[in-house]
Amino acid sequence: MSDIDIKRISYLAKLKLPHEKEEFYANSLKDIIKWVDNLKMIDTSETEPLHNVTEKTVSIRKDEINKSNSVDDVLSNAPERAQNFFKVPKVVE
Amino acid sequence: MKSSISQIKDSLRDKKISVEELYDEFLIKAKSSKTNSFNLLLDKENNILSIKESQKRYENGNPLPLDGIPLGIKDLFCTKGIRTTASSKILSNFTPNYESFVTQKLLDDGSIFIGKNNCDEFAMGSSNETSFFGPVKNPWKNKNVPTDDLVPGGSSGGSAAAVAEGTCVASMGTDTGGSIRQPASLCGIVGLKPTFGSCSRWGIVAFASSLDQAGPLTNSVEDAALILNSINKHDFNDTTSSNHVREDYSIGINDKLDQKIKIGIPSDYLKDVSGDILSQIENTKKALIKHNVEFVDVEFKTTEYALSTYYILAPAEASSNLARYDGIRYGVREDGKSLDDIYLNSRTKGFGDEVTRRILIGAYVLSAGYYDAYYRQAQKVRRLIKDDFQRIFNDVDFILTPTTPNEAFKIGDKLDPISMYKNDIYTVPTSLAGLPGISIPSGLSTNGLPLGIQFIGNYFEEKKLLQIAALAEKELNFNGQ
Repeated sequence: MSDIDIKRISYLAKLKLPHEKEEFYANSLKDIIKWVDNLKMIDTSETEPLHNVTEKTVSIRKDEINKSNSVDDVLSNAPERAQNFFKVPKVVE
Repeated sequence: MKSSISQIKDSLRDKKISVEELYDEFLIKAKSSKTNSFNLLLDKENNILSIKESQKRYENGNPLPLDGIPLGIKDLFCTKGIRTTASSKILSNFTPNYESFVTQKLLDDGSIFIGKNNCDEFAMGSSNETSFFGPVKNPWKNKNVPTDDLVPGGSSGGSAAAVAEGTCVASMGTDTGGSIRQPASLCGIVGLKPTFGSCSRWGIVAFASSLDQAGPLTNSVEDAALILNSINKHDFNDTTSSNHVREDYSIGINDKLDQKIKIGIPSDYLKDVSGDILSQIENTKKALIKHNVEFVDVEFKTTEYALSTYYILAPAEASSNLARYDGIRYGVREDGKSLDDIYLNSRTKGFGDEVTRRILIGAYVLSAGYYDAYYRQAQKVRRLIKDDFQRIFNDVDFILTPTTPNEAFKIGDKLDPISMYKNDIYTVPTSLAGLPGISIPSGLSTNGLPLGIQFIGNYFEEKKLLQIAALAEKELNFNGQ
């Protein structure tokens, strides 16, 4: 296991860890990764990954129109809205 | 002894109590409770229409399967017009505009929601201590240290505590790695996790989508069967929802077993357990052996890898699922100068420590350079774990294990995450394999605290699973609070 770059990981997760907590999370992450490292000892060269345990659940439904998720419903929980849009700070100059 | 759903329905039918009086009785008790098992309680006015309609159906002699029954709902199910927080700060202002599939089915069958049960934040925890709304207290006390407040288990800790203290008749929980069965065990009640794909995940706040499954926490196995009848349905809105034919799970639940049953006990699960835990298994064996049940030793080859597999896969899926909380579309927004600042501030301030930790683990095991070594390897080991169960089920009908390695512990006692994760050692393998499991209370520890046993069944064999659990329940005759 290589050293964990907590700044990079938190950037990937879109989190800005307070400076004083970086070490706490880095150590915690290190312990847990070390703990799960025992999986590396298992030979899985002949094993396929398992994504869905039941592996047989694709159902096809009729292509019918349902009314759901009206604009007002979707926007009703928005922290800020402007007309029919979510409002965010300016993204492009 | 608490009344079962059938008994309550009889009282309603015989006019010994009205639906409104029943609701009042539970609400008053819930309001005066000090366990913090509800994030939100619904006053009678919120439910008055449903109460009246339910009463009318009783008067007309055609009550629905769960008519008038006051239920708690884990605060992870979206409930239309009722605040749904996942016990997180980031969703503390969220009111869904739609009803989850499972809770809609419960409403369709006449039940009435008394409130939303506290749980671990985003269902991540085994003690209900990670909730933004504070820990839940187990209604049970250690008889040797009665002043200690104990955890109810988690993540459906509020659900378990509420059912155990009698502030709702039953509660809907969710189970990702043990979150129904473990708190049920620590609170002395019944908890059922159905086969993955049985009950739709649509409208449940997602934690780990390949593992999450809804199920009931109840006072009896029969109550669990009645609730399963309502919620176990195919749903096109959940692509992992199975379209197999469902049975009636309560009919014949107490029938005599007409064929010989073989139950495997994994010897590797019992290596280092305490005498208290071991005696739960021994007592169950003694109780069932006279009912045409044979017990055999079985041995898993993958147990030592189950927790590692789980703590790679579940955080990886959580890390993806929780990417949606960005402070833009719903939930709490923390301001920032740029769009990126809003994302960063909202997420950093909105998530608690355990959720942050799991997002970080997930981001790490999915990141470039580590994906194959951790995430992909864990998915492969998951198949080996599933195959291991299938090998054992070729020879036995059920597997019997303790539900938890310990009794309820003191709030604040387990601060180290890995020792907390080990609480789920007996429930996680079942979850990874997607198999159904039920925990029933089996006895008391030397400290006077409830302990549970878990029966694991084969895929979609909930009917048989409930039958064997009902038989064990009858024989063990556990007396709740």
